[in-house]
Parts: sequence; C-alpha cells; structure tokens
Amino acid sequence: MDGKVFYVTKEKLQELKKEYEGLVVFERNKTIGQEAPKPFESEDINPEFISFQEDMIFLKLRIEELKNILENYELIKNPPKEKQIFVNLGAKVKIEVSGKKDEFMIVGTLEANPTLGKISNESPVGKALLGHKVGDEIIVSSLMKKTYKIKSIKYEVS
Amino acid sequence: MKNLVNFFHQVGKLKEMPRRGWVINDIKNGESIAEHIFRTTLMAWILGNEKKGLNIERILKMALIHDLCEIYAGDATPYDSILPKNGKKRKETMKTWPRFTNAQKLKISRGKYEKEEKGLNKLIEDLPAGIKKEIKNLWLDFEKGLTPEGRFFKQTDKLENFLQALEYWKKYKKPPQGPWWEWAREFFDDPYMLEFIEEMSKEFHKKLKPRI
Repeated sequence: MDGKVFYVTKEKLQELKKEYEGLVVFERNKTIGQEAPKPFESEDINPEFISFQEDMIFLKLRIEELKNILENYELIKNPPKEKQIFVNLGAKVKIEVSGKKDEFMIVGTLEANPTLGKISNESPVGKALLGHKVGDEIIVSSLMKKTYKIKSIKYEVS
Repeated sequence: MKNLVNFFHQVGKLKEMPRRGWVINDIKNGESIAEHIFRTTLMAWILGNEKKGLNIERILKMALIHDLCEIYAGDATPYDSILPKNGKKRKETMKTWPRFTNAQKLKISRGKYEKEEKGLNKLIEDLPAGIKKEIKNLWLDFEKGLTPEGRFFKQTDKLENFLQALEYWKKYKKPPQGPWWEWAREFFDDPYMLEFIEEMSKEFHKKLKPRI
C-alpha cells in the first residue's frame, strides 16, 4: 500500500470497522468449513455481503483494503469553536456558483461522492474551499474560471 | 450454452445504443455505449499501469462490465430530471451544470442505482454462478468504490467521457464546455487524473477560445 492517510467521519469509521470484523469472522468460518454467523447472513444488514459469499478472491481483497484503511485513518473531527468559521474537513458548505445554489460536505477521498454532494478535499474545488469563510469568493480553474461564493458553513460531525 | 449465446447477443446491443449525453446535445452520429466501453478499457489499462500498485486484470474486467446494465436500464445523464422538451430551452439548460438540493441528489442517485442494479441482475440472471457473482461484485466495486481499483476506475470512466466531450466540442462546438469544467473540478481528485486533465486542456484549448 502507498502509506496514504484516509480521512474518515466517525460514522464511516464505524461502518468500516463493522464490515471488517464481520468479514474476518466470515472468512475464518469459511476456511474451517462453517457457515457464516447469523447476523451476516441477512441481506438487510449488508446488501453487498451476499455477493462476497463464495467469491474468496474479492472477500480477501476487501478485507485487505479495510485493514489498510483501519491502520491508516485519521478521524474527521469538528474544529474548535473559534475555527468553525473556516471551511475544513467535515464542513457542510452552502455555496453559490454560476448563479446557482449548492451544498457540499468536504470529506476525504474515501467518502467522496460528488453525485451526493460529498466533495473530496483533494479535488480542485474541495482544496480551494479549505480555509475560507462565509462571504469569500473563490475562483477555481485556470481555463474556465468559476467563482464559488461561500454562503454558510456548518459542522455537524458527531 | 444457450444462456451464453443469449448473453452475448444482448451485450451486442450496446454497439447500437447511442450515449444519451450526446443525443441531448444534438451530436449527430454520436458514439455508442460499446464505443465508450472500448476506449475506457484501453485508458483503464494504460493509465492504471502508469499509476502503479493496482490490479490491472481487475480494472480491465470492471471496465468491460461497468455499463452492461444499460442494456436494460438505459443510459442516464445528470440533466434527465430537468430537461425541457423544447429544443431551444434544452440548449439553454445544457449551458450550465445542473445543481440540486442534497435530498434531490439522493433521490436521483438511488433511483439510478436501483434501475441499473435491476438491469444488471436481469442480464446476468442465467449466467453460470461463478461468472455471475464476479460480474456483480465488479459492478458493486465500481459503483461504491470498495477497492482502490473501483475508485480508480470510476474516475477513468468519467475521464473518457470528458475527453469525448472535448473532442466533440473541437469538432462541432458542442457540448458547451463550461459545465464540463465546472463538474470536473468537483469530481476528480486523483492527482494522476488531474494531471491528465491539464494535458487535455492544453491539447484542446491551445488555439480555440472556449465558448460557454
């Protein structure tokens, strides 16, 4: 692995830990010929789990990936009150761009999902927003200039 | 054997299915979904190889299967829920990147996922169990970014799409470039992809001034 630090929210960390523990137990039981433990047989608990079954290569890959994340993560925490006026990881930022309103949460690369408004702190927009406060206008991109105006910043990370 | 013949017959339909993003931009004879898959696979192999540390075989298989669900689910674009029927209004809509509330984003994303999963399940239903599971797992990895390969390929898929948009823009002066650049600066975060985009920008915008 490349020694990358994964910035994760507490919610995501709990999800990853639960999945890791479940898959390790499943793999162990599978190796000694036992069935999966009851809670992990339910598709309601983990829809992907059903697909992991009997695909040992993918199961091992996923376990290895989760282990790497759990060994190299940093928890996204709320900054101290006086610093909550600035955009940092975990911030929910309302912006205006090209006359339209949008809302982003700044997350690490692992949780990034722009389709759902979760913008990576390593993307040009995520990176550019970091350290700014309400009212700031940030110009992103050298070729097609876009101005992002920060309307509000909120922290709700538990 | 009958199930395999039927599977490949269905997959062949992608050769004649146009990519919807170009249709709504009035690009004549735009690429098919199969053509997009072809270049995405090539890019995934070569760029993945350059990036190092990735399982290329896994990425290549992911590239080959990532849009198979569209045989039944169809091709979706971010504009679908707001697209006016009127041609002039549609052209106007295409000039800006669509913005939604977070609740709308979740609804659109869930709807697309469910439709595509259903489409994939239908396509692979009668395949032998092993390959069926492998295809489903690769698709889940692509959709959810479960492994470094899944996360890398998700960006490669969009990179090919972006390159095609630039090529059409150079040739036909459409689709409008503004929304593409706006989206790209929010979507891509892989340093290697971002470097590639800078090179694309130099190549396609060295003489021509982009029109939004």
